[in-house]
Amino acid sequence: MSLIVWREDFTIGLPDVDLEHRELIKMINTLHGSLKPDADAARIVEALGEIHARIAAHFALEEREMRRLNYASTAEHKDDHERLLDDILDIMDTVESPADYDAEALGRRLSNWFSEHFRTFDARLHRWLVNRH
Amino acid sequence: MSPRQWLRAVFSALEALCSRAFTPAWNPLLQLGAIGWFFYWIVAVSGVYLYVFFDTGITRAYDTVEALTHAQPWAGGIMRSLHRYASDGLVLVALTHLLREFALDQMRGKQWFSWITGLPVLMLIYLSGITGYWLVWDVMAQHIAVTSAELLDALPLFGEPISRNFVSESSLSGRFFTLMSFIHIAAPLLLLLFMWIHINRLTAARIQPARGLSLLVLASLLGLSIVLPALSQARANLDTVPATIGLDWFYLNIYPLVQQWGGVTVWKLLGGTLLLLGLLPWLPRKSIPPVAKVSLLNCNGCGRCVTDCPYGALSLEPRSDWQSYESEAVVNADRCLSCGLCVGACPTATPFRSASVFSAGIELPQLPLVELREQLRKSCASLAGEDRLVVFACEHAGNLGTELRRNSAVAEMPCIGMLPPSFIDFVFARRLADGVVIAGCTANSCYHRFGQRWTEERIAGQRDPWLRARVPRERMALSWAADLGAFRRGLASLPPLRLSKSDAGKPGPLPSGRLWPVPVRVAGMALLLGLFAGVTAVFATQPSWRQLAPDEAVVRLAIRHATATKIECKPLTPQQMNDLKPNMRRPVDCPRERWPVYVELERDGKLLYQGTHRPSGLWDDGAATVFRTFRIPAGRQAIVVRMRDSGRESGFDRVRSGTIDIAPGQNFVIEFHSGEGFTWH
Repeated sequence: MSLIVWREDFTIGLPDVDLEHRELIKMINTLHGSLKPDADAARIVEALGEIHARIAAHFALEEREMRRLNYASTAEHKDDHERLLDDILDIMDTVESPADYDAEALGRRLSNWFSEHFRTFDARLHRWLVNRH
Repeated sequence: MSPRQWLRAVFSALEALCSRAFTPAWNPLLQLGAIGWFFYWIVAVSGVYLYVFFDTGITRAYDTVEALTHAQPWAGGIMRSLHRYASDGLVLVALTHLLREFALDQMRGKQWFSWITGLPVLMLIYLSGITGYWLVWDVMAQHIAVTSAELLDALPLFGEPISRNFVSESSLSGRFFTLMSFIHIAAPLLLLLFMWIHINRLTAARIQPARGLSLLVLASLLGLSIVLPALSQARANLDTVPATIGLDWFYLNIYPLVQQWGGVTVWKLLGGTLLLLGLLPWLPRKSIPPVAKVSLLNCNGCGRCVTDCPYGALSLEPRSDWQSYESEAVVNADRCLSCGLCVGACPTATPFRSASVFSAGIELPQLPLVELREQLRKSCASLAGEDRLVVFACEHAGNLGTELRRNSAVAEMPCIGMLPPSFIDFVFARRLADGVVIAGCTANSCYHRFGQRWTEERIAGQRDPWLRARVPRERMALSWAADLGAFRRGLASLPPLRLSKSDAGKPGPLPSGRLWPVPVRVAGMALLLGLFAGVTAVFATQPSWRQLAPDEAVVRLAIRHATATKIECKPLTPQQMNDLKPNMRRPVDCPRERWPVYVELERDGKLLYQGTHRPSGLWDDGAATVFRTFRIPAGRQAIVVRMRDSGRESGFDRVRSGTIDIAPGQNFVIEFHSGEGFTWH
């Protein structure tokens, strides 16, 4: 089963950003699908590395859009981005030391942070974009 | 060491000193261009004020400037002084700026644009300054007028010598003066245009110095204006040649040379210098490394590289591949200097990516990040102990010193700004070393303009991408700011490295460099500004130039004479007229060619000058002109001037002789008028 399912209300109204959200969800779901207790840790780190880079780029693009539109909560939103990026690095550290490695927990963490950010910050950006007009 | 390297070392040392004394933000050596702009605006504003009170006619000019200076010393006087001293400052700053860019080798190859456009800026500064001094119409202005005319007459441009305009008080015309006031307004406007073009290829060019520094510079100029107000010298009088005059050596440095070597030599010197400066960007050609390359698969058009490029070599353009993003980064190969600042800005440039191959959205082909990471891993493997060090170094950093070479892995790159902050995180996350040192090129002045600044801001979380907050700042040092020995010894005593898993808060900056105590810095700044004001004040009038010994005078031979035609007009017979083509038929045949003029000048029986002068004009049908200047001892002496203007083989057509008392400093002019023959006064 997919970890995160794309929902129409995830749409925030910036085509590039929405496109990347879908791509990222796909990547995370693929990774989640491969999270078996006997999975190769190196491959997971590799996938996480790609996700980290993708998300970093995605945030950069989203931040540019927010700044371009003079979005009022840009600073807070960006702080949350930075927190999420920190989180992924921490997760990668966990995966690297097999003793701490817990596929279930990792899946939960990934899912949580993505859904949470969608629900709060991105939704607020979406509302702001809609009300702007 | 080549002169360039030697100069570079001097600038580096001075810049490091000033940065430590005044902080990099207030370091005047790092914002010479910006200070130049500031001076320009001071000159422009004070110039507008002066123009209100200035009479552009040659008869009233001197008086209005005097009135301006003495009747309103606290307004006009100050304005005038600011106008002069800021102009001098502009030359000082522009020449230092030129030297510094040369020392940094910031003008060869693709950077030719800023260098070449700087040359007209320099020339226009000089043109503006020289015409400005002309307008005061004191003895220095007279010297400028006479010598400029001599210089211009050395060019084969003018039908008759410009110098004739400045022969004597009685023949003085305001024509040239009006032209000068026009040029003095037009040249600065053109200068502004070229200054704008000059910085056109730089991103975020600094045209405003730090506010505090501006205020201090303005204060020093004001202080100078009050202590040593700019004054006129004696009123110009073309009937005399002042033996000694004060010269502004910032602007008039070639004028003594014109008198010493003559106009032609000075033109050769100027032309040669300009040619050399103009060719410098290609002497010798700079080797050009491959430019940055965008990997579209890793680029979503976030634009961080575009923001951070110091040379405006990147832009966001409509997407060219299958991905449905709006834009992509595009490299302008003509402007890219392969510094790699774009790589450091790219969010996908992270060493945490898959083990074997990855590419950031933008990379330097000569140093892919994968390679940088593998080198780092390999060289760190051989380190041991508790003070293992990774040094990220700029390739312009020069000698890193033994402290950074011991038990360390050095990763060199074209500019420290190329380093993605995540590499620092990577070093600690993989336990590759115990400490990281960032070694930029020279202290606070980056070869690629912003490399160090961007790096420090990325570490401090003020510029994207941020260095993660979890990275322990106490295990990092800037090579130019830290006591490296103490830093390394301190590494062993730090608690074991533990990258926090919890919310680490916001990233913080590295400890800033050591500054000197405040009183020392204040004294240093006062000393520097005092030095600047002192140099400006001294060379604005000193040393004075002696163009004539006290017991000497000048004789000027100023002749303009249309001689008789060589062949007299003769009427044509009807037959002769008939032989001519219909459109050429005329009753009288008048060949237009005139006789040349042969002149001799004798003083106390000794020949001062003899020469033959052709008539002007394509058909030798114009007036012949003679314009010569001689220095002679003053006193009572016999003067003889003779002229042959009729084509005779020997003897003379016109002669004047007499015994005359010539006063020291007198401008004794010998003229010729067809009706009255030779006149002198």
